[in-house]
Amino acid sequence: MNLIGISINHKTAPIEIREALHLNRDEIIQLIGKLKEDTFSEGVVISTCNRTEIFVFPKYYSLNIDTAVNTLLNLKPVAGIKKEYFNKFFSCGAVKHLFTVSSGIDSLIVGDSQILGQVKEAFEISEDLNFTGTISKRIFDHSVKVGKRAIKETAIGEGAVTVSYAAVQVVEKIFANLEKKSALVIGAGETAELAAIHLHDKGVGKITITNRTQSKAESLAEKVNGAVIPFTHFKEYIHNFDIIISATSANETILGFEDIRNEMKKRKGNPLVIMDIAVPRDFDPEVKKLDNVFYHDMDSLKIIVDQNIQKRKSEIPKVEEIILEELVNFFSWYNTLEVVPTIKSIREFFDEIRNDELEKIKHKIKDEDFSKIEDMTRRMIGRLLHNPTVKLRELAESGNNIQDITTNTIILKELFGLDKERNNGSDKDMNDEK
Amino acid sequence: MISTLTSLNLIIPFLYLITFSAYLIDFFYENRILINSKRIFLFITLFIHIFYLLLRTIEFDHPPITNKFEIFSVLAFSVSFSYFILELLTDIRRTGTFIIFFSLLFQAASSLFIVNDYVVPEVLRNRLLGLHVISALLGYSGITISAVYGLLFLLLYKNLKANRFGLLFNRMPSLETLEKLSFNSLMIGFVLLTIAIIIGIIWLPTAFPDFRYSDPKLIGTIIIWIVYGAGIASKFAANLYGRKVILFSLFGFVLTMLSLILTSTLANTFHSFY
Repeated sequence: MNLIGISINHKTAPIEIREALHLNRDEIIQLIGKLKEDTFSEGVVISTCNRTEIFVFPKYYSLNIDTAVNTLLNLKPVAGIKKEYFNKFFSCGAVKHLFTVSSGIDSLIVGDSQILGQVKEAFEISEDLNFTGTISKRIFDHSVKVGKRAIKETAIGEGAVTVSYAAVQVVEKIFANLEKKSALVIGAGETAELAAIHLHDKGVGKITITNRTQSKAESLAEKVNGAVIPFTHFKEYIHNFDIIISATSANETILGFEDIRNEMKKRKGNPLVIMDIAVPRDFDPEVKKLDNVFYHDMDSLKIIVDQNIQKRKSEIPKVEEIILEELVNFFSWYNTLEVVPTIKSIREFFDEIRNDELEKIKHKIKDEDFSKIEDMTRRMIGRLLHNPTVKLRELAESGNNIQDITTNTIILKELFGLDKERNNGSDKDMNDEK
Repeated sequence: MISTLTSLNLIIPFLYLITFSAYLIDFFYENRILINSKRIFLFITLFIHIFYLLLRTIEFDHPPITNKFEIFSVLAFSVSFSYFILELLTDIRRTGTFIIFFSLLFQAASSLFIVNDYVVPEVLRNRLLGLHVISALLGYSGITISAVYGLLFLLLYKNLKANRFGLLFNRMPSLETLEKLSFNSLMIGFVLLTIAIIIGIIWLPTAFPDFRYSDPKLIGTIIIWIVYGAGIASKFAANLYGRKVILFSLFGFVLTMLSLILTSTLANTFHSFY
């Protein structure tokens, strides 16, 4: 199989280069157009913030792998790009790399499941542009299966790997029913927004936002169906909340030990979870000494994130096993395709001999006799090839005994010198056939 | 039938050991097979155990509550059975290790020391005694389970406060759930203990000529009942949450254990017929 894979990712290139080579949907469509021109018959282009991947089948066997890289760089010229930024794969290696990408173990955040959706989307673009075929479809079906199996059968995607999600994970270890809880998010920046969205996704009953810039608070509140309280007054309402997530850019603490102690009296000891994910911290860390106050800052949440990343990494061998299984499944199917061109070649080979011999006697006998001999030789070849053709087809259709299929096709090719006969563009023919 | 009983008596602790091991392995290693199959182990263990208890009742013509080691076996069963029901109702599967451990201990002690040939005082064949003892045992199971969940609550509470996100953090349900489990078990235990006390107060004076209200065991039980009752009442009245309630429950459990040990070993009580 002549699949080519080109990859530039977080392991091979610095972020500036990855950013420069990031392709949006329109650029992917443009690149596919160029790839089609540049002698590729089918393929897929995947581009995320951390990687750009090209998987293509060349129309002809003898093709320089760099052609795909050059096509990309012609579309998106990048200053200072080096050859070593690109990983190049071929055939089984390319399929394995795609499976690895889909599984999430090659992602910057190990076990990131977003990549699976991005792989699917990339394939859909190629399909819309008629840049896919039977083999590429099968490869991508298997790669999606790898991603799904990795999520279902291993813990590769489990546990929070961002600080804001870890904060929500801790909240879930304190409260059983988040629907009945109310949360206050202090700040409306990127971190606060992420935390508010996680709380909303987890079904927290009531979310309230407060921020120095009221309009930003309102905008975030709209996203999470929340309410807004003015930043100047929010301290008066602290006791109404079970969860406080603070992520402001304030230079000093905005809530001290006494503030929280007084609020806890009003809460009659009901637990209060404070997630201080601001740097510098928004709360006096001494508040953790108060009964039923669960205070966590960046450092403590980072412990969870690091543990989960470690746990995900320990799942990589299990995912690699899934990748291997799916590689075996795919190539079991792929190897059966070998018999189709073999059958075609052997029939052509016999027909050529028949035609040669018929040509020799064509002018030496009557037309009526020639016609009879022509029929007779056609039937003879048909009967001679019937059994081997049926047997090979049966083996191929059963999908089993890959070894038998390979052995039989090799013997046939060797016996009749089929490889020599069909030396030019054999893979092209094979692809056309499939 | 005696040989069957002897065989079952030997088998049951091993069944508890297997079930406990399944829960323990799943607790430490999150085994995907054990997460479901351990419940089947527990079911089989309980099924065989109840069969053993019934067989014993038929063979000796009295409920298996007439000596200390029969009671241990019933206690082992009732603790695990209560947990089994809780697990089915809440689908919280990773706390069994800490509860089945108690059943394993009780059953191991029972299997080691239980005897078949002994004289049963006529008073212990009474049906009201059966009800009294069984409701008391179930009550004690309730407060034992409550104490276990209370202890787990405290451990998780301390871990969360100290930013320790280890096994307990990963395997335990939320603090709120642990508190609920602990309190609900306590409530069930308290109700059953109340029933046991009521039956006892009605029936004991007629059954035991030397019955007296100043009996140490009776006083001990009443004190425990008052402590738990006051705790439950204050929880509802003052809307207490978390650590305070749990500490109260654990205090009650320690008091119960002390009372049981002291009244069974040191005090002179009409209850000491085992």
